[in-house]
Amino acid sequence: MQLNEDAIRQIVVDVVSGMTKEGGNSASTSTSTAGSGNMTMKELGLAEEGKSSDEVVIGLPPAFGKELSKTMTEQDHADVLREVMAGIEEEGIKARVVKNYVTADVGFMGHKAAQLSGSGIGIGLQSKGTILIHQKDLNPLSNLELFPQAPLIDLETFRQIGKNAARYAKGENPDPVPTRNDQMARPKYQAIAAVLYNKEVQYLDQNKKIVDVEVTFGK
Amino acid sequence: MKRSKRFLELEKRPISNDGFIREWPEAGLVAMEGPDDPKPSVTVENGKIVELDGKRREDFDMLDSFIADHTLDLNIVEEVMAHDSKELAKKIVDLNVCRDEVKRFGLGMTPAKVVEVVGHMNVVEMMMAVQKMRARKTPSNQCHVTNVKDHPALLAADAAEAALRGFDEMETTVGIVRYAPSNAISIMVGSQTGRGGVLTQCAVEEAMELEMGMRGFTAYAETVSVYGTEQVFVDGDDTPWSKSFLASAYASRGLKMRYTSGTGSEAEMGFADGKSMLYLEARCLYMTKGAGVQGIQNGSISCIGVPGAVPSGVRAILAENLIAMLLDLECASGNDQTFTHSRTRRTARMLMQFLPGTDFIFSGYSAVPNYDNMFAGSTHDVDDYDDFLTLQRDLKVNGGLVPVDEEEVIKVRNKGVRALQAVFKELSMPDITDEEVEAATYAHGSKDMPDRDVRGDFRGIEDMLNRGTTGVQIVQALAKHGFEDVAENFFNLLKQRIAGDYLHTSAIFDENFHCISAVNDKNDYAGPGTGYRISDELWEKLKNTRLAKDPANIGE
Repeated sequence: MQLNEDAIRQIVVDVVSGMTKEGGNSASTSTSTAGSGNMTMKELGLAEEGKSSDEVVIGLPPAFGKELSKTMTEQDHADVLREVMAGIEEEGIKARVVKNYVTADVGFMGHKAAQLSGSGIGIGLQSKGTILIHQKDLNPLSNLELFPQAPLIDLETFRQIGKNAARYAKGENPDPVPTRNDQMARPKYQAIAAVLYNKEVQYLDQNKKIVDVEVTFGK
Repeated sequence: MKRSKRFLELEKRPISNDGFIREWPEAGLVAMEGPDDPKPSVTVENGKIVELDGKRREDFDMLDSFIADHTLDLNIVEEVMAHDSKELAKKIVDLNVCRDEVKRFGLGMTPAKVVEVVGHMNVVEMMMAVQKMRARKTPSNQCHVTNVKDHPALLAADAAEAALRGFDEMETTVGIVRYAPSNAISIMVGSQTGRGGVLTQCAVEEAMELEMGMRGFTAYAETVSVYGTEQVFVDGDDTPWSKSFLASAYASRGLKMRYTSGTGSEAEMGFADGKSMLYLEARCLYMTKGAGVQGIQNGSISCIGVPGAVPSGVRAILAENLIAMLLDLECASGNDQTFTHSRTRRTARMLMQFLPGTDFIFSGYSAVPNYDNMFAGSTHDVDDYDDFLTLQRDLKVNGGLVPVDEEEVIKVRNKGVRALQAVFKELSMPDITDEEVEAATYAHGSKDMPDRDVRGDFRGIEDMLNRGTTGVQIVQALAKHGFEDVAENFFNLLKQRIAGDYLHTSAIFDENFHCISAVNDKNDYAGPGTGYRISDELWEKLKNTRLAKDPANIGE
């Protein structure tokens, strides 16, 4: 199963990179070339409710990996997203990515992702790096796991969060990913987070709603 | 580039870790005097405001409507708005113009006008104005009592010590939400052991907070947040009217409450409409006044990293405290959250409220080590007690704290935990063991405490709530186990919600439950020798800090 997934993924990567080289269909394709991870995001049609129970939906805000390419601690968006997706796939669950043009609020974005997810489990991931795991039957301002202190999340933790989301999707009850607390994160990052979020909301577009995104990572 | 050794040294200083940014007015990342702030204006037609700060009534958002219909005083607004802003600023600062005269024109200024008025002042003038305009004559202080483990024994001991040290209000919150009732009870029992009449609150989700107040586990509430733009209000699932309704719920039960707001929240949440932080905060304050709420906690509060990062941000924070006072609101003036790595900056920021005095200089000083502070840390904590007491002594300022004796502290901590031990026993909550009493009595923080059986605590809390427990059972438990004085204090606090005296602006209680508020302790500052002065009795206490040696004992 997982081998097949990998094979398909590789084929998609090859096809998309070929398309990009030819410049075809580029109108709805955006490429993030910043940092180490070469990531291609192709926006497809309107996202619909998933039918298969073996998926977790990751909800991203409009500028993720596009106009913005780094979190507030300058982690590359490609690296962050790759880790979250890898964490999900490690558990044998599919990772489906959507872009939410309606809201960039991490709670509402995560809740919407959960509603679109066949398993009812979704992840909200902001460009600044704040992430949470949501479940469709919960109140939008509630969540399964929230990691409010984005500056303290390393790539390994992003992968763990992906894994946990997948385990909820399988009906398991995993131990929450340990959170860290640093009272000095606010003086260091609060204003930078505000700048990033203000850049983010400029790209909201109520008409575009929520779209499926095909993500591929280059070497 | 070959690096300068001076610059390399500077980079090692704590302040280098602070996140400063340049202004970005379009996103509201400007503290005050924003280029796109509206120009002050008002038009009244047929007894109704039809135009406010450059906006016609048909274009009003819900905050404009609320302020136009419920806050501004139509009898004076046109007259006051006709005055030059600089002239109004001078009157506010001038010690020959009395507080009542200034108060009269507070509701005659629109939000844009008041922002323009305070914009003419430097921080020394603002402090002069705060000294005159704060509602209660006697300044006071509030503290935070929390810990990482939500350990009830430690909460009770810390609350007892904090009460002894002079805090008049005490606020807790939780690490894990389900501990809220346990935390609320723990600090109330502890505080009433340290000193009768200390007011306590537990900051959690609004419905739970109200329920705990109604049960008599808390004496007041503060965590009712309001915002300066419609979008941010809506994102919080609220409106000015829903917040007013919540305020009325507290009033109907005779419970003191104030709102919370502060500069930077709208910019942080991405919808500042291109307005300065201070202008949006002014709208919050006018909304608060219109709702009929007696006071506000402001001074940026949890968003302080945002104004703290831009030019004139700390000045804007003082300005927002001042605007609250111009509207005759009680002001719990911030100083409650970490915003800098620099000890110099945090002290400078605190002096703005400490020197003139406010209703509550801190809206929470951390009465626990900052690693236990579940509000993400305060600017000053238990390890700063001697520094703070020394500042009071150096400058002859009453910052709300008194020197205490170590033996006295140990005694009162021990009694506070034993009182709570008795309460837990009678309420059939999981035991507080004698080992926990001992540990809490001598602890610096939760690192010195054994772990609790968290699931056992949750079951105990749930059962206690399901049995319909109220403050009355707590009073009975205290009396039954020989803590008559604590029972008396706890009962007195419950009775206050029937008397209702502490619903007046800026109310606190002294140790005899005499209510001290803006009504019977009205600020009458009018220059040197007037207003609040430290009494000889208090000065004797403040002079004799732990660190001051008696000359008689030197060399003998």
